[in-house]
Amino acid sequence: MRITLKINGTAHELEIPTNWTLNDVLRNKLDLTGTKLACNYGGCGSCTVLMDGVDVYSCSVLAVEAQGKEITTIEGLSDGAELHPLQRTFADSYAAQCGWCTPGMILSAKALLDHTPNPTEEEVRLALSGVLCRCTGYASIIQAVQDAGRILRGKA
Amino acid sequence: MNPPFSVVGHNVTPVYGTGKVTGSLKFPADIVLPNMLWMKILRSPHAHALISEVDTSKAEKIPGVAAILSYKDVPRVLFGPFEYELYPLDGEVKFVGDAVAAVAAEDWNIAEEAVRAIRVEYQVLPAVYDPEAALKPDSPIAVLNLPEAYTGTPWWEEHGSATHLDPTTNLYSAAKGKPTLVYQRGDVEKGLKESDRTVERLFRQPMESGVAHEPRACVAHYEDGHCTLWCSVQEPYKLGNSVARVLSLPEESVRVIATAIGGGFGVKVGGRYAVLAALLARQTGRPVKIWFTREEETLDAHNRPALVHYVKAGVKKDGSLTAFQIRTHLDCGHWLGKSASRLAEGMIHHIMDLYHGCPNVLWEVFVARTNHPAAGPVRGRSDMESHFAVDSVVDELAHAIGMDPLEVRLKNRVHEGDTLCASPGKVMSSVGLEEAVRKGAEAIGWERRQKEPGSDPGMKKRGIGMAMVIHSAGGQPFRTSAGRVEVHDDGRVLYFCGTADQGSEQQTTLRQMVAEILGLSMEQIGGVNADTALCPRDTGPISSRTVYSTGIAAVRTAEAIKKKLLELASRSLEVSAEDLELREGFVQVRGVPSKRVSFAEIARAAGGPIIERGEFNAKEQPSIPWGFAASFVEVEVDTETGEVNILKLVSSHDVGRAINPAIVKGQIEGGASWGLGHALTEGFYFDDRTGTALNQWFLDLKTPSTLDTPEIVPIMIEKEEPTHPFGAKGCSEISIVGVAPAIANAIYNATGVRMTEIPMTPDRVLKAIRSRKGEAA
Repeated sequence: MRITLKINGTAHELEIPTNWTLNDVLRNKLDLTGTKLACNYGGCGSCTVLMDGVDVYSCSVLAVEAQGKEITTIEGLSDGAELHPLQRTFADSYAAQCGWCTPGMILSAKALLDHTPNPTEEEVRLALSGVLCRCTGYASIIQAVQDAGRILRGKA
Repeated sequence: MNPPFSVVGHNVTPVYGTGKVTGSLKFPADIVLPNMLWMKILRSPHAHALISEVDTSKAEKIPGVAAILSYKDVPRVLFGPFEYELYPLDGEVKFVGDAVAAVAAEDWNIAEEAVRAIRVEYQVLPAVYDPEAALKPDSPIAVLNLPEAYTGTPWWEEHGSATHLDPTTNLYSAAKGKPTLVYQRGDVEKGLKESDRTVERLFRQPMESGVAHEPRACVAHYEDGHCTLWCSVQEPYKLGNSVARVLSLPEESVRVIATAIGGGFGVKVGGRYAVLAALLARQTGRPVKIWFTREEETLDAHNRPALVHYVKAGVKKDGSLTAFQIRTHLDCGHWLGKSASRLAEGMIHHIMDLYHGCPNVLWEVFVARTNHPAAGPVRGRSDMESHFAVDSVVDELAHAIGMDPLEVRLKNRVHEGDTLCASPGKVMSSVGLEEAVRKGAEAIGWERRQKEPGSDPGMKKRGIGMAMVIHSAGGQPFRTSAGRVEVHDDGRVLYFCGTADQGSEQQTTLRQMVAEILGLSMEQIGGVNADTALCPRDTGPISSRTVYSTGIAAVRTAEAIKKKLLELASRSLEVSAEDLELREGFVQVRGVPSKRVSFAEIARAAGGPIIERGEFNAKEQPSIPWGFAASFVEVEVDTETGEVNILKLVSSHDVGRAINPAIVKGQIEGGASWGLGHALTEGFYFDDRTGTALNQWFLDLKTPSTLDTPEIVPIMIEKEEPTHPFGAKGCSEISIVGVAPAIANAIYNATGVRMTEIPMTPDRVLKAIRSRKGEAA
């Protein structure tokens, strides 16, 4: 079927099988492989993207459901010139170890900071509980999110 | 080398950091080539069967199917990561999920459809799932067709011997009916007799999945007798060897690229899927990609082995351990047994080196084949298999004689210069154990523990427990370590190294050492890693070896380049080499920065790039480094629900010098978090009648989330390791090891109840508490 998806500000006209998920389209039609996939059934969060600002599992959203929504993937986070503060703090805090959950983790954190600019540690833990990480033990990730919040508040 | 350092010891920007946070870093699963086919594997629904017939005629007719392979179509050549034990496909399937056939098609939907259309006739055979039951005389045989041309020890393992394979038993042993391994020192009977108190316990651990987040992937490209594979593999050179064997190619015609992989943890080795992709790429003349589903990643990978320990141990009133008598049954799954027996060897040797003070040991291990997925090394290999049982027993013995369990551990510990059973003929290098234990005790508030276990009043009881830990830190004599540095005539300095980045940012650590020696900043050094065509052969990031072994090779490489640069600059500047120093890409006269020559000019004058390589093998040195740590945990046990709440976890480590403290801290925290999962929730389970996996999906493997991971306090003791130029040693696995025994000991401190089975789930804890109450009544 033919659909139109707005991804990182650009509209894409696509011909896809009806059963394709948003993740299938991103990774296999648009080569936006920054969005990962680890379980393909909404169990881990590695495939998280933003849909109208809400963090969703791209493996559990059918591509047709994403029509008319603003989709943001990790590729659309920075303006191209410099890294988004979350990307900067994740790199600097070594919050990305193997890097497979990182794009999903960063987008989930962005959804949090967009409506809670100054989250407590508990709020960060709750907001990121839908994205699992096998490498870090989460301390560096929570640190990176709070550091990015500080940078973003300073900018505002 | 002595501080101050300008790069080493600093949390520099990670080499692959930007690629990871922008999504631009390409993992094998992200690789797409023009005209690429997708591959899918048909998997066995039976735990054990012979394939009577494979009918692919219907599947072949599906439009878009390019090729199908069954066991009849593949070379009957053995390959494997631990020993040559696997065929690309076999006429006997040995576990539920074993590969039966492989399809390459235009897209993955077509490949899946074709897989479903293949008709297979199975002759179902009896199966066995328990490593103890597998040794009974009437047990079914798990693997019938043992390799007829068993080839013994692969080239990369110089030590160890070919093992006799007996088709009439599931036991992996050199002699019929004898244990796979026997370790003996002193006289265990005498030791038990001399003891004042003894303890006897049975411990159990289930199989456990590595749960690396990137399901493994491979893209194989074949052209003119050369095969290139982008593959999620920690040991690219071994995979190259496997592909070369099966495709009958010279090893130099197989190129494996594994620059960055999404988690390794020991499980991303081997690769029948990659060998099959290479065969399909050759047959179709097109690139072939396979990307495992989560279920495949769990089933068709090796796992931490299930095991049972029967332990008897003794102690004298003064706290001296007198004896360990242990019998272990270990489930190696369908693999022949080499990987599990090597793991078991480490299981005995490491911890018996840690408790060097105990004079009498008899430890027998029986490794048995079953119809489970394979078992092998997973993060914390060997020590995850031993510490829960041994440390728990030491804790219990200490309580039995009324001594502080911390002091009993330290009283019997290893010291610098002690002879090692893990590395025969070698002695123990630096030991920062006492400091790690004392600092950890201080951080948790060890004196706050219940003086009388179980005496905390109320239904929710608090307690504190600890464990003392040893693990590999590099310097395994049978591993290869090498590096190459090139200084180009445009000034580029490139470091080439064979190790994949599976998440611990080894390239950052290694380049920090090279940059320090060459007087460069991190931005001035580039390079390539884990590309077998471009990098010198290195075993890869396993057994926490990289910072030490590959690191020493990197330092030697950098020193060789430095010497060359100084020599050449000395000639052009007409100044003696001793009066020169390396700074920011220049060789300059000490104290006279204006008198200098750039690396680029030196390389141009030399007529091209200056290239040096360096190697390291620990065989050459008398002492070997080991990693030491202590875990301390405070728990609150709900005695009405059996729930164990972790209040605080202290992970205290003798890390040598931290080349990059942020990386070391990340390894400690990450390992500790996984340790919690291992202790409380994880485990990979199978139906014991059909052998079918019960929880191969992500959530059901129950790895910890942000809400399950408590405050982790990392402590780094930077005791310099004298055999490493920068004083470093490996520390990327060890923090996982002590968590389960520390929790078990803390549960004992809180409730007076001993936990002897992992994971310590609420139902088990509750059952243990209730059965003790029953005893008391």
